[in-house]
Amino acid sequence: MTSANTMNSNSSRRQKTPLEHILRVALYICLLGMAAVYLMPFLVMFLTSLKDVEEIRSGTLLSLPGSLNFDAWVKAWGGACTGSSCNGIAPFFINSFQIVIPAVLISTIIGALNGYVISMWKFKGSDIFFGALLIGCFIPFQVILLPMARTLGWLGIANTTTGLVFVHVVYGVAFTTLFFRNFYQGIPSDLIKAARLDGAGFFTIFRRIILPISTPIIVVTIIWQFTQIWNDFLFGVAFSGFDTQPVTVALNNLVNTSFGGKEYNVDMAAAILAALPTLLVYVLAGKYFVRGLTAGAVKG
Amino acid sequence: MANLIIEQVKKRYGTTEVLKGIDISIKAGEFLILVGPSGCGKSTLMNAIAGLDDVSEGRIMIADRDVTYADPKDRDIAMVFQSYALYPNMTVEENISFGLEMRKVPKEERDVEVKRVSEMLQIDHLLSRKPAHLSGGQRQRVAMGRALARRPQLYLFDEPLSNLDAKLRVEMRTEIKKLHQKLGTTIVYVTHDQIEAMTLADRIAVMKDGEVQQLGSPQEIYDNPANLFVAGFMGSPAMNFIPANVVSTDNGVMLELATKTPTLLPFPKKEALNAYLGKEILLGLRPEMITEPQHHKEGLEFVVKSHVNVEVTEPMGADTMVITRITDSEINCRCHPAYPAAPGSDIELMFDTSKAVAFDKNTGERIDL
Repeated sequence: MTSANTMNSNSSRRQKTPLEHILRVALYICLLGMAAVYLMPFLVMFLTSLKDVEEIRSGTLLSLPGSLNFDAWVKAWGGACTGSSCNGIAPFFINSFQIVIPAVLISTIIGALNGYVISMWKFKGSDIFFGALLIGCFIPFQVILLPMARTLGWLGIANTTTGLVFVHVVYGVAFTTLFFRNFYQGIPSDLIKAARLDGAGFFTIFRRIILPISTPIIVVTIIWQFTQIWNDFLFGVAFSGFDTQPVTVALNNLVNTSFGGKEYNVDMAAAILAALPTLLVYVLAGKYFVRGLTAGAVKG
Repeated sequence: MANLIIEQVKKRYGTTEVLKGIDISIKAGEFLILVGPSGCGKSTLMNAIAGLDDVSEGRIMIADRDVTYADPKDRDIAMVFQSYALYPNMTVEENISFGLEMRKVPKEERDVEVKRVSEMLQIDHLLSRKPAHLSGGQRQRVAMGRALARRPQLYLFDEPLSNLDAKLRVEMRTEIKKLHQKLGTTIVYVTHDQIEAMTLADRIAVMKDGEVQQLGSPQEIYDNPANLFVAGFMGSPAMNFIPANVVSTDNGVMLELATKTPTLLPFPKKEALNAYLGKEILLGLRPEMITEPQHHKEGLEFVVKSHVNVEVTEPMGADTMVITRITDSEINCRCHPAYPAAPGSDIELMFDTSKAVAFDKNTGERIDL
């Protein structure tokens, strides 16, 4: 510690050469440029959502709104037309939550159990089972559209929220299993042996010992699944009924439905609203996300 | 407290046989040590006793009850792991009482038991801590506490000290021995450290390649190794194996060493050597039996003096190990530190063969048992 500190202070006391100064400035210009490229679309969206239609038509993309005007937001939330109904995107928000919450929970629980079995209760062929499950991560969405439509119809849950939850759980289990399996791989198997000798069974060990040390990977899985399912459009558009559409589909309908002129401000406000939950999840749990991805074996 | 009987236990993974018919039986209260190099099957055998691994063939009995196919939790055993395997999410107290809780012991009794065990192991001040906040030695104690709390029939220790630093290891070794003397429990203890084996065991089973090479008390194993492997494995520095010719002399059969001027050594069980007349055997002689000339041994029946050339000396404080060479074999001799033995010089050493053993050069088996 001491030596590192001295080294740092030495190097900071040392005069930088002019070339080093120029390079440093160039580096920051590069970084700021990159950041601007990423932030620009959001800025344009946000500015546009605050303007009225007249301002949009007359000004440039980056011109500031004349006054703070949240009418577009209000309309996007509660009054804009999506297809034939004109209740804004609020009802579809609820639809999305009804799909996302059960789908995330169920796929996370199944993934945790799968990972627990595959890494700690190996059975004959468990590696093959895991390999087969992994292939699920690489199947493109489009490939399963038709078979899944048939399956949902056969199960009698086509066009329902339950059907969409089912699709997302099936599709998500491959990923959640992979996450949990990799995390549990780093937990010493002696822990399980000790618990077995102590008299704990399969589920007791899972509940009392494994789950309490799984917080980082649970957070990672939930963020991942939440983002995936919330942002999903293809499954939503293919398998939802009119009143079970998720917010992504509603947003698409909203943008495509116009009576007279295009209301870009409403479109932008609706898009930001639809993106807020995932944004919020990242802000709240982002540090766990990074920590969970990098967490190795459990020490102690 | 219970006896343990292992009968013809075999374990196969596919076609490879990891345990090739193990027979061990110990009495109640005995301290058995399974020792051997890594890959000898000692940990597999331990897991088989614990029930964490199925055996392919054979029988395991604890307290005269056949437990070969019993679930680990029904065998009434407790185990201390090399990695300690403490539950990271639980406090020390919860770690110790978890096994009791699983066996539905009421809370009040659990508290009494935790108190008893933690006081015995001097960890009562750590009860509310999590394992991550303990030192290696403290974790070790908690792991033992967890095993002790249940008062099982049989304790299994799987290399419990190998993650500790040298000083702590010696301390904990003594403590385990005291604990065993106090509680008188039956213990099976796996280690690859032959000093641990010697110091702790009532009985040692030396294993190699899935077979028990020898089962006996530490002294038996030290003095009377069954073969070259056991002789070389137990003892530090290891036993010297000196190539020697079996020759016939006026004084009967003797062993001839190829020192500068050949040395003739008498051998306690000379009749065993008759079959090897004119051939070369390996003479097994512990380092402490080759010393500087000692007055009180002068003239004894199995004591002979001879000159050797010193290659290296390794002062160890109490003794100095003098390393010399007889026909390509390095020989360790335990000499008094004051005995002048400069590297490169010729010195006189005293060979005491009263406890010497002899091995067949080709098979490695004892020929004088």
